[in-house]
Amino acid sequence: MRTHHAAPRRALNTFGTLLLFAAALFWLIPLIWTVLVAFRPENEPIVTGNIFFGSRLTLENFEQVAMVTDWRAHYITTIIFVVGVLLVQLVTITLAAYAFARLKFWGKNLIFGLILIQLMIPAAVLIVPNFATISFLNLFDTRWALMLPYMGSAFGTFLMRQAFKQIPLELEDAARIDGCGWFGVLRHVYLPPSVPSLVAFGLVSVSTRWNEFLWPFIITQSNENRTLTVGLSRVLRTSEVGALYGQITAGVLIVILPLMILFMLFQRQFINSFVRSGLK
Amino acid sequence: MSQLGILSRQAARSTTANVNQRLWRRMLPYLLVLPTFAFIFTFTLFPTLNAIVQSTIQPGNARIPSRYVGLQNYADLFNPSSIIGGDFLRILGNTALYIGVTVPISIVLAFGLALLLNRKLQALGFFRFAFFYPVLMPMIGAGSIFAFIFADQIGLANTVLRSLGGVGIKWVGDANWTLVSIMLVAVWKQTGFFMIMYLAGLQNLPQDVYEAADLDGATIWQKIRFITLPLLQGTTLFVLTTGIASAFQLVDQLYALGEGQPNQRSNLLLYFVFQKYNEPRNLGYVNAITVVILAFLLIFTVVNFVVWERRTYYEN
Repeated sequence: MRTHHAAPRRALNTFGTLLLFAAALFWLIPLIWTVLVAFRPENEPIVTGNIFFGSRLTLENFEQVAMVTDWRAHYITTIIFVVGVLLVQLVTITLAAYAFARLKFWGKNLIFGLILIQLMIPAAVLIVPNFATISFLNLFDTRWALMLPYMGSAFGTFLMRQAFKQIPLELEDAARIDGCGWFGVLRHVYLPPSVPSLVAFGLVSVSTRWNEFLWPFIITQSNENRTLTVGLSRVLRTSEVGALYGQITAGVLIVILPLMILFMLFQRQFINSFVRSGLK
Repeated sequence: MSQLGILSRQAARSTTANVNQRLWRRMLPYLLVLPTFAFIFTFTLFPTLNAIVQSTIQPGNARIPSRYVGLQNYADLFNPSSIIGGDFLRILGNTALYIGVTVPISIVLAFGLALLLNRKLQALGFFRFAFFYPVLMPMIGAGSIFAFIFADQIGLANTVLRSLGGVGIKWVGDANWTLVSIMLVAVWKQTGFFMIMYLAGLQNLPQDVYEAADLDGATIWQKIRFITLPLLQGTTLFVLTTGIASAFQLVDQLYALGEGQPNQRSNLLLYFVFQKYNEPRNLGYVNAITVVILAFLLIFTVVNFVVWERRTYYEN
């Protein structure tokens, strides 16, 4: 019976792998295309010269796009934005998660429910009223304006609460008897085993913030407060007349490179983090 | 006497200490929760309420003051002959079409790819990179690349079409094709995320069910249809809601690809908001559209929750 099935099954397996390979190549086309175009002379048709290298390899596109906007400022702002938000989030979600996981207090479920509303309301949808709030606070075109809306995270709070709930209560009791206060308990009992959850949350937070566009675009104006994605949008618009795709693809590479390198190095961690973020 | 005095003073001190300690212990949870709650209140809950209130107001100008108009803004949105209604209804239709096409296609592709990946494979890392890297690309970057792929003369898509003997398509600029190109980008972008969710689900499936099915002589298709798909219902529900929710937030790609033109034929809801957010005279409408988007998101979340609850109820 088994040997009877083996041959067609192997054929099916090979066919499956070929199909997968074709699909993977198809998915990679935009990235390969971007790299190819960024390093060949501007607006050279794909049929000119060698298919991979064009008539010659060049860094002209990068030199040109460097003059369109202040990439150094964008990099600094993006890093401050991403890291700043993450640091604040790590503190706020840990504190709140501990309270929701282990403390009893009046109104706990109500407050938790109100916080969870954020899970279904993405920040992008609220640009209009949040723009009004930021203007009211006189924070338009500041780095604070970039960061503030992301500093509280329902998703992070939920994720950490789940992690804390897995930790046996006896461990907390033992630490209390040894004289630990709430902070000691959090620091020595709850945090060490929850590091994987923090890492998962961190990776998802960093990659979504890095790629954020709409909010940074509308809430900032000066170059030093604009993120990489907003800088890229500027390349897109200034070159619209002649559609300078060499510069656009070079700009795309400048923006995506750090995250792509991190992803190649820590592929498994990235994917696991995103999976975990889905299993709310 | 003096000894008694010292004793009572000590007792008094320790009760104040106790009271302070008890107060501290009662306040502690609120203090811990406060930062998260304050941020979420200020940037999610309050603005939501704010949008609801603002959506009932017709903004004034130098001569006419703003006034309360009840649900008039909503009535205008859904009235095809009002100044905003025609555009809004068309964009609502676009959004529905966009969801109806991209979400099912992405789900089918993702499920198929996950099945193919869930075997003993060499170069698993390569495949994971190929399908997942779009998830980590900024939408504006993806949109920019595709704007080039879909470019009229030198774009890759048309180069390939022409070399196959066809004629080039005006991808961005032709009303019918612009929405198609935006949908293609969306499928390319979200399939990898859906795929890893399915892959994770597949890897957690109990093997004994499949062994039993093998003994009964079930074919591969029967196993997928009657075992895998039902067991992965939860994953399907999750990717479905994620896909729908992200459709309502789509802005960046439109910025790079056609900006909703011509005549709003390729526009989607949030990009419409983005185009009008700083026109004071449209403030009432913009807030009403925001509330409409929020209402859709709420409905999908609630439906998701109810379906999920019923499913687990039946399972138990």
